[in-house]
Amino acid sequence: MLDLSGVFWLALTLGGYVLSRKIYKRIKWYVLAPIVFVPTILYLIAIPTDTSYAQYSHYTGWLISLLGPATVAFAVPIWQQRRLLVRYWRALLAGIVVGSFVSVFSSWALAHLLALDAPVTLSLLPRSITTPFAMPMSKDLGGVPELTAAFVLITGVFGAVVGSLLLRFLPLRSALARGAMFGVGAHGAGTSRAYEVGIEEGTVAGLTMVLTGLFNLLGAQLLIWVL
Amino acid sequence: MVPRYIRTLLELAVLVGLWWLGGWLGQYFGLPIPAGVLGLAILLLFLALRLIKPEWLENGARVLVGEMLLFFIPALMSLLDYGPLVREEGIRILMAVCFSTLLVMISTALTVEWMFRRRSRQDA
Repeated sequence: MLDLSGVFWLALTLGGYVLSRKIYKRIKWYVLAPIVFVPTILYLIAIPTDTSYAQYSHYTGWLISLLGPATVAFAVPIWQQRRLLVRYWRALLAGIVVGSFVSVFSSWALAHLLALDAPVTLSLLPRSITTPFAMPMSKDLGGVPELTAAFVLITGVFGAVVGSLLLRFLPLRSALARGAMFGVGAHGAGTSRAYEVGIEEGTVAGLTMVLTGLFNLLGAQLLIWVL
Repeated sequence: MVPRYIRTLLELAVLVGLWWLGGWLGQYFGLPIPAGVLGLAILLLFLALRLIKPEWLENGARVLVGEMLLFFIPALMSLLDYGPLVREEGIRILMAVCFSTLLVMISTALTVEWMFRRRSRQDA
């Protein structure tokens, strides 16, 4: 049987996305960007109507699955920019390694400092990597994949917003550093934002986002294997 | 000539197919790597072997990468089931996430910039 509330949520998600993307193209105000605007609207309707995640995701869950093909699609820009990668692999790798360590250790330290409980802390650790990597990793670590997915998103949105401010304060002369900052720190949302700064920044961001995910995945496997 | 949107749809189908192939390979060999990443590796291999030209998939790839934020939105709604947690620890979680993200971005950007300048000096 057709689930009418499911259809409603799907229509609202897709419609809200298309609409807010159109508005955001004209008014570059990040509050109107789809990733901020659409969830806000959804929550404003879902909370008073007592909607559960199962109800919401009945017909919208497949959208998350599309992150898989989207990851595959990154092969095309990565291939087209392979010269950049070959030339600067040391700098990018250094950024990915440093960023990943800072992410895991600062998440862990802050979670303890703020007295967050164990499942939340574990769900926070894979926060800086893109969702298709982060969700299974959270499960392996003993976290809650759904919580991790939400933390990943908040990271991305915050990173995309604060990244534009950081560009003004940090002495970054290279597109490489600007892109890596968004890709390692704020994955998907950051990468979209980096493309607004420039093509090169966007490409570097997409590349470092995927490589950061891979690096963390290998690191976690190694850790599990060693322990 | 094939209409543009049908072409894009075909490209999307190929990308979804590669993702599916990645998932199948991962399961067959028991690899802990997500399907999308294996698909990405396979596509890179095909591109490197010149079996596929990047122009063939360019439009489909642009659509998927460009609309990626849409695919993230439903994941953010998972907090609906964590009302009490959000009320109790929400602010603290937000503080941890934001501060940690700030540290990651600053450290990454400065590391890459420093390495970049070192490299530029060597070249000069």
